[in-house]
Order: sequence, then structure tokens, then C-alpha cells
Amino acid sequence: MSFGAIDRPLIVVVGGGGVGKTTLAAALGLVSASEGGDTLVMTFDPSARLKDALGVGEAARDREVAVQSGTRGRLDASLLDARATFDRLVQRYAPDDASCRRILDNHFYQQLAGNLAGILEYMAVERLFEVAALQRYDRVILDTPPTRQALDFLQAPERMIGFLESGALKLALRRWFDDHGRLRATSRLRALGRGIEGLLDRVVGLQLLREMAEFFQIWAPLYEGFKARAREVQALLRARGTLFVLVAGPGEERIADALFFARRLREAGHRLGPIVVNRVHPRIAGGADAAGGMRLLAWLGERDHRGVHALRDLLAPDDLLVDLPLLEREPTSLEALEALGRAFLGRLDAAAARAPRGMPRRGRKT
Amino acid sequence: MTLAERLARRRLVVVTGKGGVGKTTVSAALGRLLAQRRRVLLLEVDPRENLHHMLGVEPSGGEIVEAGPRLLLQNLRPVAVVEELVRERLKIRPLVKRVLASPVFQHFVEGGPGLKELAVLMHALRMVQGETQVAVDAVVLDAPATGHGVSLLAAPALVSQAIEHGPIGHLARTLAAFVADPAQCGIVIVTSAEEMPVQEALELIALCDGRLGRAPDEVVVNGLYRPLDGAAPPLWAARRATNEQELARLVERWTGPRVELPLLPLDRGPELIAALAQRLQ
Repeated sequence: MSFGAIDRPLIVVVGGGGVGKTTLAAALGLVSASEGGDTLVMTFDPSARLKDALGVGEAARDREVAVQSGTRGRLDASLLDARATFDRLVQRYAPDDASCRRILDNHFYQQLAGNLAGILEYMAVERLFEVAALQRYDRVILDTPPTRQALDFLQAPERMIGFLESGALKLALRRWFDDHGRLRATSRLRALGRGIEGLLDRVVGLQLLREMAEFFQIWAPLYEGFKARAREVQALLRARGTLFVLVAGPGEERIADALFFARRLREAGHRLGPIVVNRVHPRIAGGADAAGGMRLLAWLGERDHRGVHALRDLLAPDDLLVDLPLLEREPTSLEALEALGRAFLGRLDAAAARAPRGMPRRGRKT
Repeated sequence: MTLAERLARRRLVVVTGKGGVGKTTVSAALGRLLAQRRRVLLLEVDPRENLHHMLGVEPSGGEIVEAGPRLLLQNLRPVAVVEELVRERLKIRPLVKRVLASPVFQHFVEGGPGLKELAVLMHALRMVQGETQVAVDAVVLDAPATGHGVSLLAAPALVSQAIEHGPIGHLARTLAAFVADPAQCGIVIVTSAEEMPVQEALELIALCDGRLGRAPDEVVVNGLYRPLDGAAPPLWAARRATNEQELARLVERWTGPRVELPLLPLDRGPELIAALAQRLQ
């Protein structure tokens, strides 16, 4: 079995929370390895059972560990650790030990490094870049963090570059405070200056401004390195060898989410592969006349069927849409995962055969 | 005591849980339930509006709109709250304009950890304290999915630790105290009876305990494949078995109030919300 329409060295699985991204990423990893490719699955937040199945406990945090998969190709898995990746990034770009320590010991950094908006997402791509540089794998499958919008992930490098290039940074890097902790700009203005200082204190707080100024200053030696790296990461996400698989939940109300995300991916210059509608209730013949639970099950089958069809109608003819049925149990054994991966690729081949042209194209808006 | 009775005096009810478990549906049902006796604002924080579908009204577009008897709806842009705050504090119009247009301000609001969460909570608090033009008795907040960033509930405490001084530190401390006070702020955790959502619900319960020193008011288990009379189709039976297993795991660690909502053969909309509100009662 080939990877067909998704045969790329880097597959990024994206989608909203709770749609089954992690499971699908693991399933694709198993098929890839069993077909002989050396494969890495980078996941973010696998369930306890999936962790057990892959054999990746805490040991896999921030490093690659071998999955005892018995596959022809090697299968490794790793868990992302945003804080550890961030620390490493600081160590790499700090010009000397002293500036490195100043950051790692900084009050703001310690409190917030793991929680900064978008940092988690940025660290996911950063980590991906580290792994790509190893050139140890034929294929890397990246499961993305479960962010609310699922878009933060894609915008992370752009935001980083935007911030580093913006006037915000230049402004922050100016020497705002004198040695006595007074604002330099206002001290010359005497009474008026004190008024402005007072206003700033009321609105934001001078103490906070002093701490923030210090925070930005200690990062200054790292900015150039950071910016170059963010550009490389951005290029990797848009490279020819990178393909996005978009996973969505069933039901008509999820259609808008899927379309929105597909459009944003393409607008951002990414290559969108198949759109997967996951956990679709099967249709039941004659279910409408049945009683009780059977009738409800039939109703769910019809609802999901309507949803898949409505989405199909809204996509371009050569967009690949793959629906995967709701399984009796979430696959958590290696066998069940591989079966899911093969079922997915089988349906993908069928969808590609039906599509007017084999491959989805980039840059076009849905 | 029923859920409605327990929440009867809460001024803010935060509805939280993992993505995809039906937080928005439960928020709407809860809003409708509480609006039977009080004037309630349903607050949504998502650029793509969804709550209005549940209530069968037009999208709010950021404004406060009527969504039923004693029920109001607003889709909140956190940045708009911060902008409003700048306008109030600075007062001098040209200065306000310059601040709002500056990239410094925009990066600060977008990237400042916990800032958006603070803004949302502050807006809710001001609404119930009558500091805004439209006053309500209670706010039901459909909180963003917990994910792994700063959770809305933990944000005030986290920010108040990082920023000790000045108005932002003060605001963070006020909000932290508000969220931690069970007499003022209700916390409802929504989950489905599946592994990951239950895991996240348990983590949220632990977060309430550890960071806020309090328990949530209720855990709502949504979307259950309910037990069937007679023979169930295999898919149903298997899904029900998973539900039971995960419910057992939840109950083992959470002995507080819990309400279970079954899957219903109703599309999203007022009919579904009315049916669920009745069950919540």
C-alpha cells in the first residue's frame, strides 16, 4: 500500500480539539513504518491508552523513543515539551552563558514561558525543525496542539517574525529608565513629566513597565537568531514536501469549521491534502421506523451523512474528502491503529480515483 | 438541591471543558435555565459565533442582543474590552487613538500571556456589578476550550504572580479572588464519557482544587449513549460500555454533583436547548 495522495516526507495533522488527530497521526505512523519507511510520530497530548500502546511514557518527553512495533521500517515516537524546547532555543542563540542564565533565571520567563500565547504552537514547529535537521527519518508525522482555533499553530512563526520586526520591539529596547528607575523621557519635563509618569503608573503600572523593559533587554542578543530561525520554520511549513491533513468532526454544525480552516490554510500558502470527517455514525437502512435506541442511532447516521454530503457540495470537485466511520472502540492497540491507518489510505485512494484530477492543488481558495 | 438552586446566587457561571464535548450547547441550556428567574447574559468568546444557532437568533456581532425572555447574548472580542479600558483610563482622545493604533499595543494585547482571559473576566464582573450600560443579574460564560495554554480560570492567579504591582496586578488579584469565591462564581465542567474528555475534566477539578482552593459546582456529562431496553445494536452497546467505563473513572475521583445528558435526536437549535435545560433542572 502506498501513501497515495499524501505521500510526502512531512505530514501535519491539523483540526479542532477532540476530533481524533492524535489517533490518526499514530495510525499513519504505523502504516508508514510497516511499509518500510523510517518514521517518526510527534504527538502532543496522547491519551494514556495510546501512550501505553505506543510505549511512549514520560521517557519520550522531548526525545524520540523506539516503538516496539515489529514493523519493517523503524517507528519512533516523541512527546512535545514546549518548555524544554524553549530552554534549548535560548541556549542555542544566547551568545554566552551569562546572557543565557539571565533569561532562564528571569522572573517573567519562569512564570510564563510555558504559558505565553502561541508559544506552545511555536515550539511544536521549532521541534519539528530540529527533527528535520537530523535527516534520520523518511517520514515525519506531526500531530498538532489542541488549540481552540487550531490556527495559532500556523500563525506562530509569522507572529514571531512580525513581533521581532515591529516597532514594538525597537521601542521596548530603548533605554527607558534611568539608574534610579525613573522614566528618562519624562524626568526632563519636570512637573509635566511627573504627570505623565503618574498617568502611566495608573494605566499600566511603572513597576510592570520597568520589569518588561528589563525582560526585553535581556533577550536582545538573541533576536537576530530567532528571526532567522522563524523564517526557516515558516519555509518548512510551506515546502513542497509538507502536506496538511485536516481532520473534522461529523455533523452539519462542524462544516463551517472545516471550510474555514481549509480556506485559511490555503490563504497562508500551505498545501492542503485530504479533509477527513472522522467518527461518522453509519447509516442504518429502515432505521427511521425502528424504535428506541435504534431510531436514535439511525437519526445520528442520517445527521452525519447529511453533514458529509453538505461538505462535499461546498468543496471543489478535486478536493479530497474522506469519511471515517465511528468505531465501536477507539483504536488503542498497535493492530487496531494500523487497521485504521490502512482503512484511511484505502478510502483516500478511492476518493482520489473519483476526483477529476488526482492531486489537490495549492493556493486555490475553497 | 437542584443545579438551578445551587447556581441561583452565583453572579458568574464559567462553563469549561475539553473542545468538542458540547460546552456551547450546555452553556445555552444553562443560560435558558437560569433566565427563568434572573436576567442572564450568555457570553461567547469565539471569532466564529455559534451560540446564536442554539437560541435561534441572529449573530450578536459583538453587541449585546436579546435572545429570549430575560436572556441576552454577546459574542465578546477580548481585544475590544482592552480597547475600551484604554479609552476610559486615558480619556484624551488623540492619545487614545495613537495608543490603539500602535503596534506596541496590538502585540501587547495579542501576545501578553493571560491578558485576554483577564479582559473577558473583567467584562463579566463589570456587567454583574452594574458598571456597564446594560445590567444583568448573572453572566454565563462559554469559556474557550481548556487546551494547554493558560486556562481562563487559572489566568488571574498566574498573572497576579508574575505582575505584583500596578493596576494590572491589582486587577489580576481582584479577579483571582472572584473566581476563587464559590459564593460569587460558579464553575461548571462539561465532559463526554470518553477517555480524553474525562481526563481533562479530572485535571480541571484538580486545577480548581490546587489553584483556586475550591471545587467546581457541577460536572455535566454530555452526549451519553443511554442504556437501552432490549437488545442494543453492537455499535451502541460498545459505545455505551465505553461511557460506563469512563463514568466509573470519573465518579471514582469526583463525588460532587453530576448531571448526565443523553444524546438526543434533535438538531442544534432552540428545541434541543429547551430539552436539555429541562434535563439540567
